[in-house]
Amino acid sequence: MRLKNAFLLLTFLLATGQAEVVASFLLGYRGEPGVESKLLAALAVDVKPVSFLRTDAGLAFNLFENNGLGAAALGVAAELYQPLGLTLRLAAQHQQWNDWRAGENRALAAIEAGPWHGLEAGIGLVRRVPLFGDRYWSPFGWSGDAAEWNYLYRLRWKFIQQENWWLRTGFSSHDRFTARNPQQFPLVVDGAYRLKDDVELLARAGTAVVGFSGGLPAFHELELSVGLTYEF
Amino acid sequence: MSSRRAALLSLVLLFVFSACEWNLWGIITRPTVEERVRENLSGTPPAPGPVAVDPDSFRFAVLSDPQIQHDYQTSLGRFKQEVADRGIDFFCVLGDLTHDATADEVDSIKLQLDRVGAPYYATIGNHDLYQADGWERFKENYGPSCYVVVIADRIKFIFLDTADGTLGPTQFGWFEEELQETRYTKIALTHFPVYDGEKPKMWRLASDAERIKVQSLLERHGAYAWCAGHIHGLRHAQVGPVHHFTCGAMAPGNLDYGNPGYLLFTFAHDSLSWQFVDLDWR
Repeated sequence: MRLKNAFLLLTFLLATGQAEVVASFLLGYRGEPGVESKLLAALAVDVKPVSFLRTDAGLAFNLFENNGLGAAALGVAAELYQPLGLTLRLAAQHQQWNDWRAGENRALAAIEAGPWHGLEAGIGLVRRVPLFGDRYWSPFGWSGDAAEWNYLYRLRWKFIQQENWWLRTGFSSHDRFTARNPQQFPLVVDGAYRLKDDVELLARAGTAVVGFSGGLPAFHELELSVGLTYEF
Repeated sequence: MSSRRAALLSLVLLFVFSACEWNLWGIITRPTVEERVRENLSGTPPAPGPVAVDPDSFRFAVLSDPQIQHDYQTSLGRFKQEVADRGIDFFCVLGDLTHDATADEVDSIKLQLDRVGAPYYATIGNHDLYQADGWERFKENYGPSCYVVVIADRIKFIFLDTADGTLGPTQFGWFEEELQETRYTKIALTHFPVYDGEKPKMWRLASDAERIKVQSLLERHGAYAWCAGHIHGLRHAQVGPVHHFTCGAMAPGNLDYGNPGYLLFTFAHDSLSWQFVDLDWR
């Protein structure tokens, strides 16, 4: 019932124009040697109904490998202490690989802080539940033989902030659709350029180092994406 | 960073690498898993052949990480006694034969493995690549790092090279082809675990997607088990129908995740059974 009330309130705020809404569309590529090589198309909406709360939802589709729906995500972030930008973020993710008949559901919780002088940091936990076989596509499967807890971390630095554009770098074990495991150390660079008052061009490049537990580190994956955001 | 701090950091790094006897340049310039696998699959060096066993009843052990160092100590002497006591027909070693891959360590572990007195198969681990010629020495002594052996027309052993913490494109394709065989019980043997049934640590195969793809292939093609080392302990997890083992270590003394030990398989009455053997609890 509470969830229903929250949804109704959100709808009301949207209808009356009180909520800030940002929609984004991204096209990208993800490649991991021997594992997968695919194009991605992602749609997402961020809604800020009140100043201290943000909700988000997204869908991602795979092309050329594991075709079809690739991921879905829902999240909510509540600002707990404004001077530090201290934020509690909760999210649920579903990812699936249709060719492999495998999927994974994840529940994430993280505490984030910042930005201070362009620096953001966060830590958290994710419960990941891999699913295989007939129920791989279900976002409601929350038990499985390979379920486990992983930690989450994030440290990003917006090192250039100009009037119309910015650049950021750092590492982040999670984003809207993914949560990495302890064997991966992800690195990312992203940026945005404001094309109009309400339109931004976004670009992102990411990789992950693997093999460091064996002292033989190597860059293992490549993620590239570019897209637009529109503020309603 | 001040020049003083940079100098201090350089000294610390120098100390770490000189203490380990690792060849940093050798690590950076080592052949990648993709290069090693392509060499393996070209047929040079040739894969070892099957050992002769009683096809209706045989025993084999799977062990890992002897990780021999400059003191040349391992638990293989105790394992030799196990081979005699339990009638083990052959054994498999899943990498990290040496700690620093120096010439002395390579020679010493080869001698100790030969002295066990039973036929054996080996694959490579990350520690075996810590010198510039690590891969060359491994090949000379043990042959390829990824290959297939079928024992007694019953069990297909698929040895994989995961020393870099990943399989790579060529090996992934080859692995899937080898799994498609339906006649045999199939066991994958390699250095890195996929699932270990414990609190997750970084000592496992690379990415989330890679592990899920591996598990999906194992399930789809009816593989019996994935046996691994790297984590120095005896662990078992069952994901769907697939057993995931970490097979202990043959390094001496107290290990980071348990005592020295190995995984013992018995094939009898047309079925395969397994048990962990903890050498300190005998």
